[in-house]
Amino acid sequence: MLKKDLNLRSPVEKIIGIDNISSSHFGAVLSRAGVGKTRFLVQVALTQLLRDEKIVHVSLEDSMEKINLRYNEGYTNLVDSIGYVDPQKALRLWEDLNLNKVGISYNEASFDTAKIRDYLNSFHKAQLPMPAIMIIDGLNFDDDVTEILEELKALNQEFAISIWFAMRSHRDEALGRDGFPVQLETRQALFDKAVFLQPENNKIQAIVLKDGKNTNQKFLLEPATMMLQEMGVTQ
Amino acid sequence: MIRDLKRVRNIGISAHIDSGKTTLTERVLFYTDRIHKINEVKGKDGTGAVMDSMDLERERGITIASAATYCEWKKHNINIIDTPGHVDFTVEVERSLRVLDGVVLILCSVSGVQSQSITVDQQMKRYEVPCIAFINKCDRSGANPAKVARQLKDKLGHNSVLMQLPIGLEDKHEGVIDLVAMKAYYFEGDHGEHVAVKDIPENMQDQAQAARDEMIDAASLFSEELTDAILEESDISEDMIKKAVRTGVLARLITPVFLGSAYKNKAVQPLLDAVLDFLPAPVDIHNEAIDLDNNEESVVLESSFDKPTVALAFKLEDGQYGQLTYIRVYQGCVTKGDTLINSRDGKKVKAGRLIRMHASQMEDVDEIPAGHIGAMFGIDCASGDTFVSPGINYSMLSMHVMDPVISLSIVPKDNKAQINMSKALNRFTKEDPTFKTYVDHETGETIIQGMGELHLEVYVERMKREYQAEVTTGKPRVAYRETITQKALFNYTHKKQTGGAGQFGRVAGFLEPCEEAFAFVNKITGGRIPTQYIPACEKGFAACMGKGPKLEFPVTGIRVTIDDGAYHAVDSSEMAFQAAARGAFLEAYGKAKPVIKEPIMKVVIETPNEFQGSCMGLINQRRGIIQGSQEEGVMSVIESQVPLSEMFGFSTILRSATQGKAQFTMEFFSYKQVPQSIAEDIIKHKQEEKKA
Repeated sequence: MLKKDLNLRSPVEKIIGIDNISSSHFGAVLSRAGVGKTRFLVQVALTQLLRDEKIVHVSLEDSMEKINLRYNEGYTNLVDSIGYVDPQKALRLWEDLNLNKVGISYNEASFDTAKIRDYLNSFHKAQLPMPAIMIIDGLNFDDDVTEILEELKALNQEFAISIWFAMRSHRDEALGRDGFPVQLETRQALFDKAVFLQPENNKIQAIVLKDGKNTNQKFLLEPATMMLQEMGVTQ
Repeated sequence: MIRDLKRVRNIGISAHIDSGKTTLTERVLFYTDRIHKINEVKGKDGTGAVMDSMDLERERGITIASAATYCEWKKHNINIIDTPGHVDFTVEVERSLRVLDGVVLILCSVSGVQSQSITVDQQMKRYEVPCIAFINKCDRSGANPAKVARQLKDKLGHNSVLMQLPIGLEDKHEGVIDLVAMKAYYFEGDHGEHVAVKDIPENMQDQAQAARDEMIDAASLFSEELTDAILEESDISEDMIKKAVRTGVLARLITPVFLGSAYKNKAVQPLLDAVLDFLPAPVDIHNEAIDLDNNEESVVLESSFDKPTVALAFKLEDGQYGQLTYIRVYQGCVTKGDTLINSRDGKKVKAGRLIRMHASQMEDVDEIPAGHIGAMFGIDCASGDTFVSPGINYSMLSMHVMDPVISLSIVPKDNKAQINMSKALNRFTKEDPTFKTYVDHETGETIIQGMGELHLEVYVERMKREYQAEVTTGKPRVAYRETITQKALFNYTHKKQTGGAGQFGRVAGFLEPCEEAFAFVNKITGGRIPTQYIPACEKGFAACMGKGPKLEFPVTGIRVTIDDGAYHAVDSSEMAFQAAARGAFLEAYGKAKPVIKEPIMKVVIETPNEFQGSCMGLINQRRGIIQGSQEEGVMSVIESQVPLSEMFGFSTILRSATQGKAQFTMEFFSYKQVPQSIAEDIIKHKQEEKKA
């Protein structure tokens, strides 16, 4: 029951739709540094954990401990957003959810999709359910990451795993012709979902850049928690 | 013993097998006048070399088997402590590394960083022990110390910096250039005992200057004084450089590298100087104990002789005069005749004969002050015990000892082995609180219990080697538990009328799951069960916890509440209520949905990055849960939880999956419910066992 309540309250449900998450191929959350890409992606991952799915969070920036801290914080924010929850119950649920979460921290220089392939292959070998989504945080989209993206696309297709990226844009960069940050503009064909986060009057505005009929919808988020501000849809 | 602790070093010498640990230690003892003749390790060439070296180590018993050997160098006391071999023995590793303040890591200039070097390096990292490196065997064909220094950086992630340059390599290896003093050292005399200090050879001056600049540049990160001197282009003193490097070593941010050839008696003395210059003294190390009288709060220990004594027994040895207990004193001073308290059991002991080891000989001493290592005779204690002055109750180690999770039956091969096995078991249980033994009365077999497969394997091996006790072993068994998952009521009447005095007792109440192993709650009112029979009820229920009705595994996590009952003025007795409690337990247990629980281990794998994916795969295939993985330099650390039953033979599998380059540690984490399919297998297996 608590799981359902939490997912109903999730900002991701309103902005992208929980069913929409795992059915996507490549998703991106864009913003400039420090706005909250990772925190939003943690909420994305939590929706799947709350459906008893496995998730893999790969970070090229954060240590394993930091990844765990981010999930603790994200879960606490989500629990707090629904009012009073028996702390014991919330803790027990978190202990259960935690078992389905794997945080992997790689050095950016030695990041290699072959290691991820080995790991995903082992699920097949052991006949275990495949993780529903994989978060990739810290990949530098200012570099040429074509090869990595191609390899990840292959993983997405081979293992039917939805992959979500944190994509850093820059404040001083003009948007591309299609109105996307340049990091997405040149690769937009690869991504079927994209959300752009930007500060807006002490709040964070989440703009759906790519998602079929939801495209161009805007929502307001509380910067401290990444939870939806009441009456969040602004347009 | 020296009371100026700045002149004391407690060090370990760690190396891959056949890197020259024995040869180096032999030279150290020779140059420090502990021995007067150098005994060579024989048969160095060919395949026998490794074994020769190991055998010699064992036979001589000076450099390896002795827990701590003491020597003197330039008015400093150096204790060389045996470094532990198995990273899996958490308890033993913790104790041994606890008494070390610094380590000399020996590397072979031909083979470079080898698997064992990686293992010992990881141990040092885990326990944050500062180290210096010595690249040995510069006289060997193919010697390339520069390559090895680079490997230290690339493979082990050390900020290595050469402190010396070799003068000639392979058969032309003559000596070393000291980049701090900018002098050349040659080693003359039959055993290289005379150090000739000369000018740097003309043809090496530029190379030496460049290497010195590099070294000073690295050291300057740890000293403002040195940085200022570089910027102002003023004189840089030797002292300034040494201080900077020492600061870096203590913070584990730099690894000074020294070179030489112990076998050819080259450059061992400068290495001893380096131990004094760069490795920490006891006063440089922060030591803590826990205060058992104050909620196990941490207490910082001061290397002061006037404070109450705190000493840790870190190793026991069987000597001809009885048990020799090696201790490190952290605070105060252990003096002959002192009364000390063993904080584990509160027993008073009297420090009788105190000694310190000189190679294979003992020297009687009157006191062992803080910061020093010595040994006591005639004290009955276990390894890991803390001795304190009366009035305080500190422990150097947590008093929490985990229950064993794996067991193995052992059968001695003959009568002699039987006697020796008893001796060995008696010793091992004293040494290691996580190792236990008992006799199974049903089968008559001796059962040993421990914290993992390797843990038990090594004790079986030690029985053979150290006590000549040949034993055959059964299959390892996991210590499963039973528990209940829901509340269930009971209302049981024990009634017997078979002539003579009858038996009558009725108990009613409920069982429910709880966190504690066993809890008993009495809610009887109105004297329905008289007070004198309540303890008998508790005893009856508690007796059922030893062997579960489901599969005869011990039962855990049950709270029993009794709230009703009845008695008979004549026929009720303690025995009757005990029997009633047993009946009640059996009645409710089946209804409380009992399940089997299995030990889950926390498994941490450290592997080169390229095998990270495969290692994670190995965990997945073993019902394991990966909690995370972290790349640290060239290595990855994978943290996971895996059922113990899936970990048998894992070391072999891990070795073959990673070309022997990964290692793992395993410790008990918790008990968790066994999945249904596995539980069915266990039940089937248990039934087959019963039939057999």
